[in-house]
Amino acid sequence: MSFLTPLFFLGVAALAAPILVHLVRRTRARRVQFPALVFVRQVPQRTIRRRTLHNLLLLLLRCLAILLIVIAFTRPFFSGGSAARDNSAAGATVILIDNSLSMRRENLFAEAQRRAEGALDEARNDEQIALMSFDKRYTVINRFLTDKNRVRFGISSLGAGWDATDYEQALRGAESLLSEVQTTGPKRIVMISDFQMPGWSQATATFKLSNNTQLTTFDVGGNNPPPNIAITNVEARGVVFGQKYLDNVVVHVSNFSDTPRDHIQVDFQINDQTVEKRDISLNSRDSRVVEFTGFNLNDGTNRCTINIAAGDFAPDNRFYFTLRRETPAKGLIIENASRGRSDSLHLQSALTTDDDLPFTFALKSAGSVDPASIPDYALVVLNDSGPLSPTLADALVRFVNGGGQMIVSTGPRTSPDSFNTTLQQISPVTLREAVQTKMGESVAITQVKFDHPIFEVFQESGRLASANVIGYFRSEPRQNASVLARFEDGSPALVEATTGKGRVLLFTSSLGPSWNDLPLTPLYLPFIHQMVRYAGTHEENAWYGLGQTFTVNKEKEAGPPAIDTPSGTRLSENRITPDGDLLVTAREPGFYRLRYNAAPGFAAVNSDGAEGDFTKLNFGEFMAGVTGGAGGAEGAEANRNLSGEEIEGRQRVWWALLLVALLLLLAESFLARRTKMVKMIG
Amino acid sequence: MSTPAAPTRFLDPELLARVGSLELLARTVVEGFMSGLHRSPFTGFSTEFTEYRQYNPGDDLRYLDWRLLARTDRYFIKKYRADTNTQCHLLIDTSASMNYAHASSVTKLQYAQFLAASLAYLLNRQQDAVGLVAFADKVHTHVPARNRTGHMRTIFGNLSLLQPGGETDLAASLHQLAEILTRRGIVVVISDFYDQPDRLGESFQHLRFKGHDTVAFQVLDQNELDFDFNDAVLLLEDAETQEQMPVLPDVVMDGYRDRMRRHVDDMRTCAAANNVDYELLTTKQPLDFALLSFLSRRAGK
Repeated sequence: MSFLTPLFFLGVAALAAPILVHLVRRTRARRVQFPALVFVRQVPQRTIRRRTLHNLLLLLLRCLAILLIVIAFTRPFFSGGSAARDNSAAGATVILIDNSLSMRRENLFAEAQRRAEGALDEARNDEQIALMSFDKRYTVINRFLTDKNRVRFGISSLGAGWDATDYEQALRGAESLLSEVQTTGPKRIVMISDFQMPGWSQATATFKLSNNTQLTTFDVGGNNPPPNIAITNVEARGVVFGQKYLDNVVVHVSNFSDTPRDHIQVDFQINDQTVEKRDISLNSRDSRVVEFTGFNLNDGTNRCTINIAAGDFAPDNRFYFTLRRETPAKGLIIENASRGRSDSLHLQSALTTDDDLPFTFALKSAGSVDPASIPDYALVVLNDSGPLSPTLADALVRFVNGGGQMIVSTGPRTSPDSFNTTLQQISPVTLREAVQTKMGESVAITQVKFDHPIFEVFQESGRLASANVIGYFRSEPRQNASVLARFEDGSPALVEATTGKGRVLLFTSSLGPSWNDLPLTPLYLPFIHQMVRYAGTHEENAWYGLGQTFTVNKEKEAGPPAIDTPSGTRLSENRITPDGDLLVTAREPGFYRLRYNAAPGFAAVNSDGAEGDFTKLNFGEFMAGVTGGAGGAEGAEANRNLSGEEIEGRQRVWWALLLVALLLLLAESFLARRTKMVKMIG
Repeated sequence: MSTPAAPTRFLDPELLARVGSLELLARTVVEGFMSGLHRSPFTGFSTEFTEYRQYNPGDDLRYLDWRLLARTDRYFIKKYRADTNTQCHLLIDTSASMNYAHASSVTKLQYAQFLAASLAYLLNRQQDAVGLVAFADKVHTHVPARNRTGHMRTIFGNLSLLQPGGETDLAASLHQLAEILTRRGIVVVISDFYDQPDRLGESFQHLRFKGHDTVAFQVLDQNELDFDFNDAVLLLEDAETQEQMPVLPDVVMDGYRDRMRRHVDDMRTCAAANNVDYELLTTKQPLDFALLSFLSRRAGK
């Protein structure tokens, strides 16, 4: 127990008042000779003792009331974490230690270990104790033991990690662990953490502790979290094909404190060389976005970092990501040039205006294509190519089944029967009749799946419907095909299907101006680029979050590479996919070095930027949430490492003390009055 | 205008206490007492004629000398003198407990002295031999019963010298006196009778066995019956043993009264069982009551 204003203990001197009154006003017995004492002696003397006791009780009540009032003025509070314990049977306790990234600041984790050992010391010797650490996930260090030394060793072996915090997961784990133990004693969870706000959300929390589980908390985070500025996210395309990075690298910087900060330098480095620096200012609780673009990249994987010179919690002042520059693959456009006039002018122009496309294209007519050369390409675009020779069609089928990508557009030269016959195995649809609108009429492309990578760039503008389509094929999607867009009449416009290892995109109108005015609109270029990128780019993240599993591709004609962790140790993961790739789970932030024989690769890993927000969670809501409010809060105790004033404010012991003092004074008044009345009646 | 208080017929014991001489006190009491009796049935116990007296209206016609009326035509009343065959011993308890007086200035012992003096005077007036015995734990004063001129002075002299002190062993003292008083007579015991009624009953039986006619006057202070104290707490001290005891009067009062009433009842029962004339007196009561009670009971014998 501690006291907020211990100076008021001087008021204990007021205890002298009732004692003096008691002594001064005490009835002094007059000595009287009385001959019939023998009859007095026969009267039970306990009444006399009771009267004496009454007087002593009155004195005691007065003294106690004064003492309670004095103690109330000292504003006591209980700062200890030991809950009232059931002495009847040994219980089970799960000690939960937060080893998330935020516990790395100052000496929080050492303090958490000290608190855990304190909780261990307070536990009964026959109490079963389990030890768990938690960040976003929980790890059982020791299952239930009565050997305190082993648990103590477990505590000492722990260290702060890099991941974010999730209190709900931790409590779920602890409750689950408690359900395994057989005991008639109390079940308790001791949670030691800095209790930061991002670790728990009342809106999304669904877990509640069972009623017979007590929750004791130790807040080691202090009452005034330090100010912190953190890089919370970087958005970047992981793979590019041109020398210049034309997209934006978007950096999110947040100020998690109530203090505005000026002149925060944001330093963008590629391969340890500073590319660009920015100077930003952040208001309190503010977030800013900084964009970098137009920088050159080397071939292969480039190690990129964003550093901010904020001078605070260091781990979240650096963000790692990779940008890989790849050589474009070969693509082939097959058209029908029977009349000696190319219908792929617009398409070819669109595909050569951007050097950041994953393909470099060659244009050939269907008759001039050597079927044997098809496997040399990664993408084939059939642009209203007309009937194909069976040999070429077979080559294309094999190409797709072997993993090739194909984009097909129809047009006036496409024969449905021939198409359905030759490309039936790989076509996403079965073409039906061609539809030509009346003169002056057109249909629009509607019912677009804007969440698809091809159309996501049109989501904001929604202008895809402005294209006027005058001709298209009605079609019937085959099984497993996905319709990405439809015309007004509901007929599929763009259909996707995978066949074998490859994938085919089919546009039921033309990619030239024959059946629509799409090539003449500003939508054409992004539409074509998105389709080509979608067909040719394999997904590669610029960075991975902690705990995320990423795939390390095997080296050609060899196994997966050796991997060094950011801290320099050799990774011993051996989870190999059927294709021979290696699955790696990110455990620490930084660059994982992938030791390929040809050229080293890198994978960037980052902590959750929100972990840098040290703001205290709403403890009342948290306790009410996890204990189920008033009903479930029975037996739950929350003792954070708050300031004395804050703890006292929450506990308000002085109210109870004053109330008890008032009751004592009422009892004293009643007793004194009763004693006086008895005397008067007597 | 206030009405003057009617003069009381009985004299307050406190007033009597101011009278220095026990003889004068006794005469005052007895003469006053006797003159107040309009029709005295206590003229005398014997039939020995003493004198004539002129008839006054109101005299009992039974004592009118009819023969003399016939001879002289004058009215005379015949007066008789009692026999002197009876001897009476006055036994006075002088233990320390008799030295108690709460609200009045008359202690129980003083009251006993007044009562004894009055009885002695009354008995002497009736020509009975009167003796005096004072005792506490044992007999310390013994004046044998006589009917001589000047004996009353001895009685009064010894009475006035009595001092309270010592513990009481009433039953033992009565047993002792039963052996000492060889001649049968009247034994008047004046005490507070703080002894066990059973033991007292045995001593009464002993006196009766010796042929004594016993009269018991239990003299108590009114406060011994009421236990009326204003103090919240008292330290009561036994006068005889000096034993002290803290007491809350308002708490103890009811229990005490109950036990005292039971004791008095036991005494009354014990006296009746042993053919002893018992009378409870408080020091507030005029002595006339005691004398009237005494004579009434003697007249009934």
